[in-house]
Amino acid sequence: MSSAELASRSGCKRTEVMHDDCRTGKGDTMSEAMVKHGALPTAEGGGGSMRHLNALTAVAGGVALAALGWLISHHFMQTDDPETSDQVVLITLGCWAVGFMAGIGAFAGPFRWLLGNDLTHADEMHLAGKDQGVGRYFRFTTDHKVVGVQYLIVTMVLLAVGGTLAMLMRTNLIVPHSNFLGPQTYNSLVGLHGIIMVIATIIMVTGPFGNFILPIMIGARDMAFPRLNALSLWLLVAAVPVLLSAGFMGGIPTGWSAYAPLADQATPGMDGYLMAIVIFAISSAVAGANITTTVLTMRARGMTWTRTPIFVYGVVASVGLALPALPMFMAAQVELAVDRTMEGQFFIASGGGSPWLYQNLFWLFGHPEVYVIVIPAVVALMELTPVFARKPLYNFNAAVLGIVGIVGLSIMVWAHHMYASGWAPDLNGPFMLTTEMISVPTGVLFLVVIGTIWRGRIWTTVAMMSVYAMLWNFIIGGVTGIYLSDVPADYALHGSMFVTAHFHYTLMGAGLTGAIGALYYWFPKMTGRMLSERVGFVSFWLVQIGFNVTFLGMFAVGLAGQPRRVFTYPHMFATGNFISTIGAYFIGIGMLITLYNVISSWRSGLVAPANPWGGKTLEWAVPNPIPLANFEVLPVVISDAYGYGEGDPQPPHWRADPHSPATPELVPAGAGTTISDTEGSPQ
Amino acid sequence: MDARRTLTGGALTVLGGALVVTLTGIVLHRDGAEAAALSATVKGTAATSRGVLPHAFLKLATYPDSMAGAHGPGGGVHPDWVTYGPTSALKVPAHSLVTITIDQYDGGETITNPYFATVRGTVGGTMTVDGKTLTKTSPDAVGHTFTIHAAPSNQDPLFVSVPLPAVAEDAPVAPNSDYPAPHVVTFSFITGGPGEYVWNCEYPCGDGYYAKFGGAMSSRGYMSGTFTVS
Amino acid sequence: MRPMTITTSMDHMATRTRGFSRRRDVRQVVALWAVLTVLGVVFGLFVPARLMGPPASPTMRGIEDTMTVFSVAAAPVAAVVWAVALYSLLVWRHKGAGPPETDGPALRTSRPAAVLWILLSSVLCVFLLVWGLAEMGSVATAGSRNNPMVVNVTGNQWVWTFDYPDKGGVQSDQLYLPVDQPVVFHVRSKDVIHSFWVVKMGIKVDANPWEVTQTSVVPNKLGTFDIRCAELCGLLHADMETSAHVVSGAGFTQWLQAHGGHA
Ligand code: HEM
Ligand SMILES: [Cu+2]
Ligand SMILES: [Cu+2]
Ligand SMILES: [Cu+2]
Repeated sequence: MSSAELASRSGCKRTEVMHDDCRTGKGDTMSEAMVKHGALPTAEGGGGSMRHLNALTAVAGGVALAALGWLISHHFMQTDDPETSDQVVLITLGCWAVGFMAGIGAFAGPFRWLLGNDLTHADEMHLAGKDQGVGRYFRFTTDHKVVGVQYLIVTMVLLAVGGTLAMLMRTNLIVPHSNFLGPQTYNSLVGLHGIIMVIATIIMVTGPFGNFILPIMIGARDMAFPRLNALSLWLLVAAVPVLLSAGFMGGIPTGWSAYAPLADQATPGMDGYLMAIVIFAISSAVAGANITTTVLTMRARGMTWTRTPIFVYGVVASVGLALPALPMFMAAQVELAVDRTMEGQFFIASGGGSPWLYQNLFWLFGHPEVYVIVIPAVVALMELTPVFARKPLYNFNAAVLGIVGIVGLSIMVWAHHMYASGWAPDLNGPFMLTTEMISVPTGVLFLVVIGTIWRGRIWTTVAMMSVYAMLWNFIIGGVTGIYLSDVPADYALHGSMFVTAHFHYTLMGAGLTGAIGALYYWFPKMTGRMLSERVGFVSFWLVQIGFNVTFLGMFAVGLAGQPRRVFTYPHMFATGNFISTIGAYFIGIGMLITLYNVISSWRSGLVAPANPWGGKTLEWAVPNPIPLANFEVLPVVISDAYGYGEGDPQPPHWRADPHSPATPELVPAGAGTTISDTEGSPQ
Repeated sequence: MDARRTLTGGALTVLGGALVVTLTGIVLHRDGAEAAALSATVKGTAATSRGVLPHAFLKLATYPDSMAGAHGPGGGVHPDWVTYGPTSALKVPAHSLVTITIDQYDGGETITNPYFATVRGTVGGTMTVDGKTLTKTSPDAVGHTFTIHAAPSNQDPLFVSVPLPAVAEDAPVAPNSDYPAPHVVTFSFITGGPGEYVWNCEYPCGDGYYAKFGGAMSSRGYMSGTFTVS
Repeated sequence: MRPMTITTSMDHMATRTRGFSRRRDVRQVVALWAVLTVLGVVFGLFVPARLMGPPASPTMRGIEDTMTVFSVAAAPVAAVVWAVALYSLLVWRHKGAGPPETDGPALRTSRPAAVLWILLSSVLCVFLLVWGLAEMGSVATAGSRNNPMVVNVTGNQWVWTFDYPDKGGVQSDQLYLPVDQPVVFHVRSKDVIHSFWVVKMGIKVDANPWEVTQTSVVPNKLGTFDIRCAELCGLLHADMETSAHVVSGAGFTQWLQAHGGHA
């Protein structure tokens, strides 16, 4: 589609001024403000009340409102009924979230708008984090680059917490009857590890890279809705303590899937879990709508669909799939809340409800969710493969169709998680069909990657080696998935450690590996520093070898009949579990080394050139540090970004847009976005 | 970056991470640990269907709250939860006749699964309640059950389940006690080889909006525990 | 639109394919593929089924065969990916520090490869499906033929119990079955969801409150087998296990009579 069509589609006249105005997002971005208030000086002192709000006031607001909510609800509701403690907990947690969002300033904009004080240019600049140094990472900042870095940090924190729990679980399983953790503690750890990791991996690519890199990659100055961008991030931050609070309120006995009616029976920990899901679902819907709109309306002139990088497709597929999926999960949790606090009986068979209703809602979310996690990770690797193989992306069209095929099929396979549930045995055949059909578009993605590698000039950086690790792990995850898609085989394997090993091969072996590859690839652009390759390889091998040892061990005990989610097991499974635990320690050490690499390289790594890898996508065309508005002059795209080996010298695939509004006088030189420049280090 | 700095930095990060995991582990281990185990006292031998075996004795009790169990002064975190006492970790000798006496102080009602209103797996399929020999109780007046089971792989099967009749709602508080006079339930069974088993109560005496298996029923140390044969 | 290197003439395609197969790197990749395929097939033939242990029912035998067949079928596909990956690391890797000085060939696509790949994976997919449906059919009828014996299975937080409605209502905490007799399990739960799993017989179905689910099997091997719970059901889920004893017909009658039932 041409940009003219695009512009008319989004309701804009194709006059030059309007055109750009439209592309930068209706009345919501600083660019628009810049156009409108171009004459205004970049006033210091904008921001109004927002100047005083940051993460600290957010926590204060959250705690204060939570305390108030607790006092009031406790006073009026605490009786001897079992439901009331759940009501008090839910009200308290809800108040925390509202107070936190108020404290960070999420409601300041709408509130001022209500009072008729629309934001000034200076306010917009303040919101975008201009001249605020490191402080802007702790504010309701709208600059997509800041939000991207914030997402990266939240992801790393979640992975660290989830990883800690994984280490404790594996330690408990090192020998049979270890008596290290009791059953209640262990069951809670399984569930919390699971849900923390699921949330971490849902955001791990679309959050950091989808926010930081994607807008630059499509030649935009920011996201379509920068304030929604900040909103989604801070909602996520608000949800984290809510989720962790579950651990202090008796834990969750149900695993990450929170099957009812066990969830109806659980202690108030369950309320922490369900409240966190509700908040996270809102956050993810906001982020998904924002990213989708950005890609649909803000691509650079000339960036037709065939010239749009594959990573953009992957991110849109992921958030687009999350848009219908997460509300299912949220609906299930809202119903669970009604069950727990108001005798809703949604999932209580004796009251006319159905546990199978919960399972259907959960897996209508749960299966798409694995693709929400895996697609952007694999596609990030697909994006960097041409760069390190120095070849065009092989069969771009097939890659796009593969992604579309996976997305389409992934919403039609959910009941393969319910083959053994007894819900609808007659549907097992049809669901086996749709499930096995997914192997075709998934296979196409493999073809694209190996086709790109074929006869390439392979530059084996850590990022590129992640592609190879993914090829190894994802094949194993895929083949074991084929066993599980077979109904009779699933009768034997469902609910066993085999399933656990299978989904770790996909979520961790392909997903997390992809995100780590993406981190090594884009870190120089995000921070202005290179990650150390040497340290990176130490970590890479520790993690990958440890990973395969850990989960091959789990495959073995699963095939032999060890159920999953068990805190102890008979001696017959001792060897496999011991091996698995030792492997897990290697993963732990490896991941800590990655953490070290990130911290030390961020502070004092080699200063990165603007384009260290020779990438052709637009993010490599902007200087380090990236100016607040990304591009001095917006680009016009002439061809796609994969033209390796085509012509010598290769023609550039973009040029400056003659219609681009000039921004330099509005964005003084040095208004960068990397942490390093604000810390006054490199250059 | 010079190599020395990288090495020390990396090592420190790994150590720091290990420290965090260890500390969390210690806290969780303390939190979830069972109280010290109660070992059965062996007194003489007994003639059984499997020959003459050592005879071991255990004395337990069930209370309507946690003031009397092993939950510390004031009843611990959940003073109002029902509990077994004096502890939940039990140890008995292998290849022995084990006689358990339970003082049951708690009331009760209808059990979810009537299977557990019948005595299972004891010598003769019987128990004595206040001196009377019974094979079952009314499923509508069960206070708790004492049910031993476990994964049978790699160890001898052991399944024992005894219903503890409920104390009447209107029973007066006994002199020198916080509770009414208990039902005294006694039963014996024969252990096989060494093994790790668990026991729990099958009467829904816990919290939770559904099936009353939450709270005390779902937290080890109240209505469930370990049963080690060694 | 970017140009594509698609050739449309069949003739041309054939010559290209011939030229392609004469190239050294292609031949070496094919050799590598063959080696990896053989390794994968050997692995598939011997490892998964062995890890699952000797089957105790025709159903489990069928499942183990499925594991073997699927592994063998997947081996050549996985080998393609791994052969190209391995070869590219060994041979096409850019050696020396820094980025490669030159680009690789500007290969945008090749229709034969794409068509072949999609065709083969579709054929494989259809094969898996047909195999699965056929097997499903035989599992579904396994126990329901020949006047099966009914056993009620009840899951209860953390204990399985069984009763035999047509055998005088015998109740037990362990499962006793006569060998070679088809049996249908009617599975229920008294509280939350459990999952009734007789590991070596390859059967599993959830136990739901207020619903009766079914599964059936013909145990064909004498011995004692593990029954586990395969759905997290709370505190002692890990210990919700018991045994299935498969005994001779006479032994079963004896057991029934000893427990107040009749054959
Ligand atoms: C450090 C590496 C990791 C180790 C050692 C590890 C280990 C484990 C273990 C032992 C379990 C319990 C298995 C069971 O009983 O079913 C588990 C469950 C799970 N893990 Fe991981 N894990 C790791 C990383 C991850 C990652 C990166 C993800 C990303 C999605 C993840 C997602 C899950 C999920 C969803 C569950 C299921 C929880 C449940 O059954 O409720 N894990 N993991
Ligand atoms: Cu699925
Ligand atoms: Cu009880
Ligand atoms: Cu269970």
